[in-house]
Amino acid sequence: MARATARITLIEVVLGLGLVAVVLRAGQLQLVEGGRWRAEAQRARQERRVLEARRGGIFDRNGVQLAVTQEYFHVGIAPNELREPGADARVIARALGMPLRTVQHDLATRKWIPYRGPFSGLQVQPLRELRGVHLDGEFARHSPAGNLARAVIGTLMPDSARGASGIEMALDSILTGTPGEAVLLKDRAGRRYDSPARLQREPVPGNDVYLTLDAELQEIAERALDEAMSRFEADGGDIVILDPHTGELLALASRKLVEGKVVANRASFFTDPFEPGSTAKLFTAGGLLARRRVTPGDAVPVDNGQLVMQVSSRGDTRTIRDAHKTNGNISLAEAIKISSNVAMALFSQRLSAPEQFEALRDFGFGSPTGVEFPSEARGALRMPDRWDGYSKASIAMGYEFQVTPVQLAAAYAAIANDGILLTPTLVREIRAVNGQVAYAHQPEPVRRAVSPEVAKILRGYLRSVLEEGGTAEGAQLANYSLAGKTGTAQKNEGKGYVAGRYTASFAAIFPADDPQLVVVVKIDDPKGTYYGGQTAAPLTRSMLEEALAARQSAIDRMRLVEAAPGAGIAAGAPAPESDAPPEPPEQRAVVVLPVGDSEVKRGRTLVPRVAGGSLRRAANALHRRGFRVAVHGSGTVMRTTPSEGDSASVGSLVTVWAE
Amino acid sequence: MLWLVVFLGVAVAIQARQSAAIATARRVATLREQRTALEAERSALERQIHVATSRRVLGDRAERDLGLMQPQDSQFTLFPIDRVRP
Repeated sequence: MARATARITLIEVVLGLGLVAVVLRAGQLQLVEGGRWRAEAQRARQERRVLEARRGGIFDRNGVQLAVTQEYFHVGIAPNELREPGADARVIARALGMPLRTVQHDLATRKWIPYRGPFSGLQVQPLRELRGVHLDGEFARHSPAGNLARAVIGTLMPDSARGASGIEMALDSILTGTPGEAVLLKDRAGRRYDSPARLQREPVPGNDVYLTLDAELQEIAERALDEAMSRFEADGGDIVILDPHTGELLALASRKLVEGKVVANRASFFTDPFEPGSTAKLFTAGGLLARRRVTPGDAVPVDNGQLVMQVSSRGDTRTIRDAHKTNGNISLAEAIKISSNVAMALFSQRLSAPEQFEALRDFGFGSPTGVEFPSEARGALRMPDRWDGYSKASIAMGYEFQVTPVQLAAAYAAIANDGILLTPTLVREIRAVNGQVAYAHQPEPVRRAVSPEVAKILRGYLRSVLEEGGTAEGAQLANYSLAGKTGTAQKNEGKGYVAGRYTASFAAIFPADDPQLVVVVKIDDPKGTYYGGQTAAPLTRSMLEEALAARQSAIDRMRLVEAAPGAGIAAGAPAPESDAPPEPPEQRAVVVLPVGDSEVKRGRTLVPRVAGGSLRRAANALHRRGFRVAVHGSGTVMRTTPSEGDSASVGSLVTVWAE
Repeated sequence: MLWLVVFLGVAVAIQARQSAAIATARRVATLREQRTALEAERSALERQIHVATSRRVLGDRAERDLGLMQPQDSQFTLFPIDRVRP
């Protein structure tokens, strides 16, 4: 009995110990190691996923998409999961644009078929309903406008969505969004399920950037540069178009010949400085005028366009020659008009080296402009203590210092802007994902380079360059005034100046009276004709003509008509017949007339009958005869001056009176 | 017995809520897919429009097929459109 009791006690103790062990183990699992096991269980049931944020888009000033981010897909197919392999193969082949036979062969022979693509959301949409088709999405950059402004926009790094160059790099932190996080549920088979309750953090898309570029002007500039490359067999070129009152860069085009192929992805307008040649004569002239070292009556002798200048105390000399030879004494205005090296060399001696340096520095040379672009070059302008005896003359002619095309455009913009130098900009606006404007560009004055009076005089000099006898007389527009300066600089390729190789350039202000645009055109090593006045200047003219006739353009046509007497209706508005003030015109429309050369006869012709018809019809008929047209009034045409049937010179002005 | 009814009621409510959440999640996913497809379509169409209306394509065709030319500035006139009076 006693033994039985002992056995029972033993069993009870063993069971009790077992129970205690179970309780202790349970306590250990629940309390001590509970956190770890809970995490383990969660890992088995859930999966954390980083939700990539969409990168902000890049647009032109009018909202044209230049670079946007889209979701693309890689497609994976598990043939054994397909419900109807025959029918599914046809859907897959049609959606992915692949030969049906290839898809059928893959389905029959492989266990897993990865089609990398990437395929757009539109392409994979029909595949979403198919069982056995697995989509793996990723964001990728897309350029709806093709290669337009590619050098400005830049690229992303190949393996990440970070900017590698251009605006993509400069504004990377603004364009990049904040990734989100979600938890997916998994069942025992490992299948994943979305659940809104498990969204930890929504991804926040990046900001959209609206550039100052105008897609229409950009296309005009790029096309013009392509034509110039081909026509002049040039090694490269740059075009910059800028709004002088805001500093906004409206178009930036670059081309370079690399191993026989033209490439367009280099932002050389920011990164490649060059010696500007005669386009820079204006800045020394500005320094002379600002310091009153030249009066309107001052003139220097040019001696048939040749000057032997002593450049050191040892008697060393340099010979300076003019391309456009003239005799006698010429003023500073004439020196700019005919681009006289001799006159500029002589005038420059009236400035000390520090004064000439300051004049150029005030226009921004030698310093980066501060535009929002990585790797902008600062150009080169040596301190005056490193100048030699020839430097003042050389710099006055546009040598011994280097500028980027954008620096040159900004300096000309200062002249157009009554002497105030502005920081050029590429970014017009930044908008958050909710459409709220986070940043809007305001003009940023750097300094006053010259007084308004001096700027006005300089604009007058520039206007004379396109008048008869100027170096760009052929580039003037018929109805709207253009002002500018040509440049033809010999190229320095490290080991000195190379004979027969030039940089042709033209810097222009349009229109001269109420500037809206500054245009800088630079052509590297044009073959055959190489003068800036015969290459870059006509190119500027044709670009402006295209911009004027464009359906949408950055040019304000109302301001243009007011600044161009004789070009449009506003020029000769009739005096009001009543006491009431005249209603100002509210809108203007451009009428582009497709007139072929063959239809315009040279010499004199008869003024056609246009009375009784519409203004549009009248203008069309007169243009077809080769007349220029000024319109007074609106509505039905009443008469013309000269009258119908009169003979008038082709190209002369016919005034149309309408009521 | 009451506790069982309460338990079942709570369980049914939880289940219904979860089911609704999953249905909503599917709907959101479907809408997201549709948006992705529409965005892709829009982008593709914009690209086509851009190419078709570009000066390179349209300008060349206008010159070649219609005999038009880029007008010089003397060949067009800016007209005012008078204010429309009420």
